Amino acid sequence: MVGLEFLLNFSWLVTFVAVVAICFASVRRKALVAVFTVLVNVVATSWPAFLAISGETVVLSLQAGSFLGDVPVRIDGLSAWFILIINFTSATGVVYGMGYLKAYSENSVKLALHWGMFVLFHLSMVWVCMLQNGFAFLIAWEIMSLTSMMLVIFDHHNPKTLKAGINYLVQMHLSVIFLTIGFIWIYLETGSLSFDAIESFFSTNNNIWLFLIFFLGFGLKAGFIPLHSWLPHAHPAAPSHVSGVMSGVIVKLGIYGIFRVISFLKADFLLLGEIVVTLSVLTGLYGILNAAVYRDFKRMLAYCTIENIGIIGIGIGIGLMGMGENSPLMYYLGFGGALLHVLNHSLFKSLLFYSAGSVYRQTHTRNMDQLGGLIKQMPQTAVFFLIGAIAIGGVPPFNGFVSEFIIYSGLLEGIQTGSLNQIGLMVLTFAGLSIIGGISILTFTKTFGTIFLGNGRKKMDHPLEEVPLIMLLPQYLIAGLMLSVAFLPQFYLAVVNNLLSGLCRFVPAGGLSEVGKYGGTLTQISLYSALFIGIVAVSWGVRLLLRNKQQAVQPTWGCAYVAPNTRMQYTGKSFSKQFGKIFSFLLVEKKHYKELQSGDTFPGRRKYQSRYLDLLERRLIDVVVQRLIYAANYFKFIQNGRIQSYVLYGIVFMLSIFVLTVLTIVR
Amino acid sequence: MLSLILIVLAAFFFTGIIIRTKSMASGRKGPGILQPIKDVVRLFRKGAVYSETTSFIFQIAPTIYFSSIVMAMLVIPFGQSKGVISFNGDFIFFAYVLALGKFFSIIAALDTGSSFQGMGASREALFSMFAEPAFFILMGSLALLTGHTSFYEIFTELHLGSYVSYAIALLAAFVLVMLAMIENSRMPIDDPKTHLELTMIHEVMVLDHSGFDLGLILTAGYLKFAIYGALVVNLFTGVVAYEYAIPLFFFIQFLMAVSVGLIESFIARFRMSHNAQFIVVLTSVSLLIFFGVLLISGKFL
Repeated sequence: MVGLEFLLNFSWLVTFVAVVAICFASVRRKALVAVFTVLVNVVATSWPAFLAISGETVVLSLQAGSFLGDVPVRIDGLSAWFILIINFTSATGVVYGMGYLKAYSENSVKLALHWGMFVLFHLSMVWVCMLQNGFAFLIAWEIMSLTSMMLVIFDHHNPKTLKAGINYLVQMHLSVIFLTIGFIWIYLETGSLSFDAIESFFSTNNNIWLFLIFFLGFGLKAGFIPLHSWLPHAHPAAPSHVSGVMSGVIVKLGIYGIFRVISFLKADFLLLGEIVVTLSVLTGLYGILNAAVYRDFKRMLAYCTIENIGIIGIGIGIGLMGMGENSPLMYYLGFGGALLHVLNHSLFKSLLFYSAGSVYRQTHTRNMDQLGGLIKQMPQTAVFFLIGAIAIGGVPPFNGFVSEFIIYSGLLEGIQTGSLNQIGLMVLTFAGLSIIGGISILTFTKTFGTIFLGNGRKKMDHPLEEVPLIMLLPQYLIAGLMLSVAFLPQFYLAVVNNLLSGLCRFVPAGGLSEVGKYGGTLTQISLYSALFIGIVAVSWGVRLLLRNKQQAVQPTWGCAYVAPNTRMQYTGKSFSKQFGKIFSFLLVEKKHYKELQSGDTFPGRRKYQSRYLDLLERRLIDVVVQRLIYAANYFKFIQNGRIQSYVLYGIVFMLSIFVLTVLTIVR
Repeated sequence: MLSLILIVLAAFFFTGIIIRTKSMASGRKGPGILQPIKDVVRLFRKGAVYSETTSFIFQIAPTIYFSSIVMAMLVIPFGQSKGVISFNGDFIFFAYVLALGKFFSIIAALDTGSSFQGMGASREALFSMFAEPAFFILMGSLALLTGHTSFYEIFTELHLGSYVSYAIALLAAFVLVMLAMIENSRMPIDDPKTHLELTMIHEVMVLDHSGFDLGLILTAGYLKFAIYGALVVNLFTGVVAYEYAIPLFFFIQFLMAVSVGLIESFIARFRMSHNAQFIVVLTSVSLLIFFGVLLISGKFL
């Protein structure tokens, strides 16, 4: 294992050298150095991850000075699964970003900061998955939050971006507070910060409260409602390759944390599972409801991330309930579906963000209602977006269906075991998941149709063209991996099951053979997907044979209206108008317009504005924040701007520490 | 395999019977039963007109839509004989494959850049979204009742014993018939014979398709009706021997076609804004089935 230790230290060394080198490299080389460094780190950290995922847990220890002592570093299957996802998405992100940021080559300081942070950010994410000591974990977690904040505010001259960045920073520190409380509580009870202490805590204390504290902390990162409000602000503000990596991976680290805590749980599985499932269904519904109405396509994708976190959460909840019910099928199907969906979502969401980013780069607008007909100028980007859209709707023959099918199977298993309230919950979740699927079809037909199909809605002041190959290449890679999940699901499921059988301290016995049958079912499904493509090919062939009659090209039938123009097309807004009206109790629409007055015989130009607001953010989070600010006003006298009183605070603090130590109140 | 043949056979007559019923209800003689098939054959041999706005999406969409219906058809069992495809959770596959077809028919409508087609597409997406939970709760309840999760096993295990289970089967048949009406954009939801584009759903989506593509879309529609009819039949023929089951199949398909025709003749379509409410009511009927299943399986108390 000495070799691996050397490898990890080497990757740190390369990273620090690279961060310095990026500062001094010429503008054109900065991105290249970053790509090179990320790739080196990917290789260095994927190697132990591959070892771990093939069943050999990697255990190392890190000398971290006299304060922390030996920090245990452990890569088990779970860590390895997440590390590999992080590495793939970061690698595609950095290559895509190299092309995406070409336009900013005049701003050398910005670029140096950005690429330096990106390299650190990637490595910190990997280390979050490896460290097994509470304090060291929090340090890596904090580095990850800070560097990602710096990545979000790339365009920091824009006050809106800066605001989104600060919003993100504050919320991430709320998350750190919860995690710190959790670790301090464990420390007080067991006297250790190591992750093994969590297990001994759970075996002697009540499981529920500590789990909920960690769930709050990690849930903030993952974006469970009502803690989701950073996502819709940060994702549109960040450059697209960063949003792709954030949405694909950072939120998943919240899921990683939840899994890690679950792996130590000892009791109360059923109750916790029910809580997680309930919250997740609501998260999924809330996310997709909002995604359906927004016209800023990056914000829509951010809400869609919230929806997918909900789907992953449903899987986690089923797995927890399986532990409670001692049902191995629910355990494997629930957790397995969740882990596979983590992979799938990281793939299609980064693909969607990259292709949406290509659209933004070429058109400089995020408002889909100003676009249209891009499939003719950017055909490859359009196809990638279409692939992502079909996959994210969970529709065969793409990979989204595989993980959703496993979660559905877990639900069906749950319906048949357990008590009345559990059955009720399962059936409602079943229906909820199907509505989520239905709304995501609506959302993505709307988005794809509005951006890429029809005619352009607004005249662009420059000709549009396809993005360069360097930005398309990562998307080809992602699409290829997506197809491999779709057509070889049994392989991925076997890896996940292998990982799960050793994950939790309490794994329901047996059942792997039954779960193996689901592997067979998945193989069948992938064959049927191939059969489907065959049927399409045959009908297409018949069509080609029969279609050699005369063909004409004419304008779209305008229903006898003789002067249709492109502004009359259905827009994203009008497509989801009726939907928004029906769900108006959950979707807050704000309109600004002036009514016609009685004297306006010849009305002139007028403006009509309508936008949607996040209900929970406005009615819950903003209210709490307002109250906090109000309460904080009472303590303003402390910050009075006089040096004398600040010195006094210092003296009082030191004195009190002294007195308390002398009187042995604090040890 | 048997189900495949039966469904295709039923699809030949289904739409013709509907049209014939409607004609007779309005006092006309009406076209022959096979007229819709003749229309499709004619369309297959015709040339086509494409809009200059459209891209390749518009060209492949009808093919994918048709293939998704064929794929869904392969999943349906008939009585004692399995469908061509049968596995645990195949009804999820069924629903999602249909969703794929819908996805493509919607984006094909948006591809034309017409305001009317966008309107139809938006409505189709909305209404089929609302119909989704009704189907899933229904199938989830039947899975709970029988302890199985594939179409074939659910339907063969579905023994009709007590009065409550008859009620459940009737309610399930009602839900399935109504789902068929929504999926095919028929009367209480959509009027296939309307002449005003503003009030159309499905018809306006396919305005720009012509020739072979339109033929495929129409064929898919006929098959879709027969598929839902076959699902309804399956509720009642789980353990019935073939010599009774096959006539029963055609009888129930015939009954369904006639009742669709009668519904279309005597019921006015809903106001567009009331459609959503109507479809959500279907979900509550499904919930009723769920409670009935809980009663039978003794989970209450």
